[in-house]
Amino acid sequence: MKVKVVTRILEVNERIAAENRRLFDEAGVYVINLMSAPGAGKTSLLEKTIKELGGKIKTAVIEGDIAGTSDAERIGSLGVPVIQINTGGACHLDANMINEVLESLPLKEIDLLFVENVGNLVCPAELNIGEDMKAMLLSITEGDDKPLKYPLMFQESSALILNKMDLLPYTNANTEKIRKDAASLNPSLQIFEVSCKTGQGLSEWAEWLKTKVKN
Amino acid sequence: MHEASIAQSVLDIAVDNCRKAGYTRIESIRLKIGRASGIMPDALFFAFNALKTDTIAAEASVLIDEIPVSGFCNICGKDFVTEEKFILHCPECSGTSFNIKTGRELEIIDMEVF
Repeated sequence: MKVKVVTRILEVNERIAAENRRLFDEAGVYVINLMSAPGAGKTSLLEKTIKELGGKIKTAVIEGDIAGTSDAERIGSLGVPVIQINTGGACHLDANMINEVLESLPLKEIDLLFVENVGNLVCPAELNIGEDMKAMLLSITEGDDKPLKYPLMFQESSALILNKMDLLPYTNANTEKIRKDAASLNPSLQIFEVSCKTGQGLSEWAEWLKTKVKN
Repeated sequence: MHEASIAQSVLDIAVDNCRKAGYTRIESIRLKIGRASGIMPDALFFAFNALKTDTIAAEASVLIDEIPVSGFCNICGKDFVTEEKFILHCPECSGTSFNIKTGRELEIIDMEVF
C-alpha cells in the first residue's frame, strides 16, 4: 500500500523558526544570525558593535558554543542581556534551541538581537532560527578562497564582514577576489571591511545596522 | 550536512504517517533530495539503517530521487539544468544573474506500508 507523505524533512525546524519569528516581530526585535568559522572574531565584532551603537539601540546577544561560557561573560561585562547556549557537541544552533531560551530574554525591551552561531562555515547556513537576516564574518587571514569553497554561507548571508583587515599586508589574501566571488554567489551581499583591533570600518557597519532596526 | 539528524526526522515522520494511516510496517520510504541540499546519500542510508532498528521501519529501505540544480537565467532568458551542485554562472551564457528553481529539496514523497 502506497501512502503519500509529501512533507519537508526539516518541517519541525521551520515551524519553530516561524514561531520564533512571530515572537520577534511582535516584540519589534530585529534578529541577526551571525555566522563564521571559529576564531574569525564574532564575539569581538559584537563587543565593538555594541559599543559603537552606544545605548541608543538596545541590544542583546544569544551566544552559541559547543561548550564554555567565556563569550557570554565577555558580552555580559558590557551590560547587555546575554544568554549562553551550549550545544554539547552540535555544530550549529537550531530553531528549537533558540525557542527554549527566549522566555529568559526581555524581548520587549530589545531592539536588536544578535545570535552568535557556533563557529562553523557549513551547517549554520542550512537552518533558519527565525532571524531577519544572516550575516557572516570572514577574517582576512582565512584566505580569499573561502567564497568558492563554502558557497552556501555566502549565498544565504545578507552581509559579509571582512575582519582583521589590519593584518591584510601580512597575508596573500586578495580582497578584490573575495568581493568578486562573493558577489557572483550573491549579488545583493553587503560587504564591510573592518578591523576589531584598530576600529577600521566599524562605524560604517554600525550605521548600516541602525537602518535595519525596526524602531 | 547532518545526515543522522535528517535520518531521524525521516524515520519520525514516516512512522507517524504510517500509524496515522492505520498500518503497522514500513517497507520503503521515497525521498526527494536536491543535489545542492548538502546531503550525502550514502551517509543518509548508513544513519537510517542504524536508527531504524526496533521500529516499525526495521525492514524499510530508503529510496532517493536526486533532483539536479536548475534555474532561469535573467541574462539569456533560458531555463537551464546543470550537473553541478553550485553554479556561479549560467551554464548557457555565463551570465551571473539567475534564479535557482530546484536543487535544495529535502522532502519525503511517499512510502510503501503494510
